[in-house]
This record gives sequence, structure tokens and C-alpha cells, in this order.
Amino acid sequence: MTMYAKPIPKINEDSRPFWGGCKVHELRFQKCNQCGHVRWPPAIICPECHGKDTVWITAAGHGRVYTYVVYHIAYHPGFKGELPYVVAVVELHEGPRIFTNIIGCSTEEVYCDMAVEVVWDDVTTELTLPKFRPVK
Amino acid sequence: MSIKDKYAIVGVGYTPQGRIEGRTELSFHLEAIINAIDDAGLTKEDIDGLICYRHFPPASDSYDVTPYMVAQHLGITPAYISQDAN
Amino acid sequence: MLESGFCKYVVISYGHNAVSSDSMTTMLMTLGQDEEAFGHFGATGSYALAAQRAMYEFNTGPETWKHIAVGQRKWANLNPLAMTYNRTMSYDDYMNARWLVEPFRLFDNCLVSDGGRAYIVTSAERARDLKHRPVIIAGLGQHNPADFPQSATFLAGPTGAQIAGEAALRMAGITRDDIDACQIYDCFTYTVEITLQDYGFFKPGEGTDWFQGGTIEPGGSMPVNTSGGQLSEAYFMGLTPITEGVMQLMGRCGERQLGPQTGTKAPENILCSDNGGILQCNTTIILRRA
Repeated sequence: MTMYAKPIPKINEDSRPFWGGCKVHELRFQKCNQCGHVRWPPAIICPECHGKDTVWITAAGHGRVYTYVVYHIAYHPGFKGELPYVVAVVELHEGPRIFTNIIGCSTEEVYCDMAVEVVWDDVTTELTLPKFRPVK
Repeated sequence: MSIKDKYAIVGVGYTPQGRIEGRTELSFHLEAIINAIDDAGLTKEDIDGLICYRHFPPASDSYDVTPYMVAQHLGITPAYISQDAN
Repeated sequence: MLESGFCKYVVISYGHNAVSSDSMTTMLMTLGQDEEAFGHFGATGSYALAAQRAMYEFNTGPETWKHIAVGQRKWANLNPLAMTYNRTMSYDDYMNARWLVEPFRLFDNCLVSDGGRAYIVTSAERARDLKHRPVIIAGLGQHNPADFPQSATFLAGPTGAQIAGEAALRMAGITRDDIDACQIYDCFTYTVEITLQDYGFFKPGEGTDWFQGGTIEPGGSMPVNTSGGQLSEAYFMGLTPITEGVMQLMGRCGERQLGPQTGTKAPENILCSDNGGILQCNTTIILRRA
């Protein structure tokens, strides 16, 4: 097996439930039991009301492209073979916005507000990345 | 409380700039500061506050440039010292 | 600390060997967080995300940004200290440059520079007895809409510049019409557009018209980044704009000096901006000729 040549996320006490969810193909976010706000990135308190009472919910995996860019330069050697590739901020129906890649279409086809759905990329046995593709 | 018109900028320090091989980050801080002191017509004994602006991570052959390090090399003992946040 | 009487003379310094060391490589690999797993690195990518959203919301883009890149280059061509002093730039040069992170081409990005910069602040009273005609800090404002870049709703404005700018003008007791020139933090061309837009120099989407005809260039009605700025002089973070504001008001800018010789207004008030993170903080300073 070849080594995975791209950066991997730092997984800690705050983010472990999210990445654990990705591994079983579930997009999990924290929801505040006090005010209902769904937050990202994960933390011990809700940024809206400072409530600590939190439950992890599973998002349906549908959203829209808030904004995106096309990389024509590989700042990290692991991405050289991917150029050009799209990095986007996707806003999920449940509220949170996350960094991701848009795949399954050409770079020219991506636009702001495009409807997208999650597609799971099992990049190693330990790590799965949530990526998105256009809704057909 | 307004600080309108209460303070002024009195000196600017430049250094060689562009691609200047063989120089550390620290060396540019120190050269810029002594040039600013000179430009204002002051001496190092006058300087009692030092703020190092926010900065990038150090080169792999250097240590992080802290305001303490800069003050030590300048031979000054400021009443106030800080690193500007991002 | 000056206000509390704690200090009499404060020096602010910056230094970096960004070109000739490996520091920028480290920066690229450590600035971000989990987004690196998706190939998103450094400031260019995140400012490009902001610029793309702005293109969608108010129809800006390279046709606006080319005026910023070319206009500032014209100032740099008058500044022997500028890294691009001997290199002119046409609109075609701008448009023909390679993409880095689309929608940004090469010349939408600031320079990477070795060097340093420092300046000294003291009381207006002490300043009177020193060597140069002092430059008065007439107004100051700061605003930090510190949301995460991916969650931010201010990428296409209003950024912190709106509130910080209003506060600085209010403190100085002047209006935008009293500003003779601007030194704007210009890590990217788009940063200049959104900052000036948030200061109210033009309405969202009217930047293309506002910049046209050389507004910010030598001979223009609102000179911007008269040293060449971070795009064309050198990148020393917030010290590039503010020190140029100071030098202009001291009248020490040689061939690029604002006034009759560059076909511009002799400046009384110069607005300087500083910007940090991904448009997550703004400091606005109004400098006035003593």
C-alpha cells in the first residue's frame, strides 16, 4: 500500500465525533440543546448562547455552494496530480458551512448557490473525507 | 475617550528590501528600529515601548523572533512590550 | 500605553526574510486547519473564496481588479525602493498572467519580501521638538468580525472596515470628502476594492466605474497605495501602508510625492488601513499633516 501523501486533519477530543462519523459515512454536527443552534467547528460551548448542553446530530448531506475557488497551483506536493481542483465552502441545509471539494463535474461547471450532496471519499482505512457533487 | 490629535508619528525606519540574501528576520527588525530611532532624532535610551508587529512562522534555521529578543539585542529595557496579534 | 503615561516613545517593528528563507513554506502548511486535507492552503485561497463570493453578490471581478494592480504599479514605478520599480504593468500583462487560485491571477497577489520597517509614536507635544514635521494621529477605529472563514458572512462585505472607518472619521471630526489619499492594506487586489467599498467611496458593484480612468493612479483624484503598496512595493504587513502615509505627509517621497508634481492634491489627511486574518479584523487610522 502506498503512503497517503496529503495532509490529514488533526483529530482531537473536540473533533473526534465528526471524523468518527465520516468513517461510517455520517455527517455529524453539534446542536445546542439550549438554543437549537447547529455549530461548526466543534467546541465545548455554543457561540450563540454559551450553553454547554450539546447533542450530536446527523446532517442529511444536502446543501449549496456558498463560494468556491479553483486551484491552479499545488502549494503541497500531494495535490500536484489533482490540478486544477475545486475547494468550496458548502452550506448544509442544517446550517453549518464546511470546507470541502466539489467533485463529479468539471471546474467550469461549479457556481455559487449550486445544489450539492455529500459523497464519501475513503482516502485511507482510518480517514474518510466528506466531499460534494452536484445534485443530478 | 478620544485620542484625537494627541499622538504623532515622528520617525520611519527602512532597510534594504526585495530579495536580500543571507539575512535573518531578526536582523531586519533590528535594522529597521535603529533607523527609525535615528530618523526621529532620538536615542535608544528614549525608547520605552516596543511592539513587534504580527508575523509569520520562523525559518527552519531560526528561532521565533519575540519582542523580548528584539529588546535584548537593542539593549533597551522598555516599560511596555508586546507582540501584536493577528 | 502612551495614554496611560506608561511610555513616552513607542517603536513598532516588522521584519521578515520571506523570500530567502523557508518561512513562507512553513506558513502555507500551518496557517490553515482541517481544510488542508482538501487542498486549501494559505491566504490566497481564502481571499479568493471571498473574491468569488463578491463576484456573485455584486458583480466585481478581474475587470475591476486590473485597475488596482496596474494603478499601484504606476506608483511603484516612481519609487526606487519598490521591488517592481523597473517593471511596468499593462492591463494585458495583468490579464495574461497565470492563474494561482482562480479567480486570482498572479498580479492579484501581494509580493513576498525580505526586509523590515519600523516607526515611532509619541505625544503630539513631544513630537514638536523633534527632527521632522510630525504626522498627527487624528482618528483611529478598529473592528473585528472574527468569525471562522468558512462561516463568515462578511467575505463580500461589509468587512470590519465599515465600522472601523466610521469610527476613525468620527474621531478625526472629518468626512470622507476630507480624505486626500488612502494607503490600504492590499494583500490582494480584492482587499483594496472591498475596503474602499466598505469605507463608502463607492457602492457595491460600482467599483469598476470608480477605478476607471486612473482614479487611484498618479494624476488621479484619490491616490491609493502611493509607494506601490504590498502589491508592487514590498510586503511588510500593516507597516507598508502606514509608513507610506507618514512619509507622504512629511513630504519625503521624492518622485512619487503627492502634490503638484504627481498631478494630485497636496495631502492634509491620509486614511490608512490595516487588515488581518481573512478580512477578520480592520484598523483604520487617519493621519493628518501637523
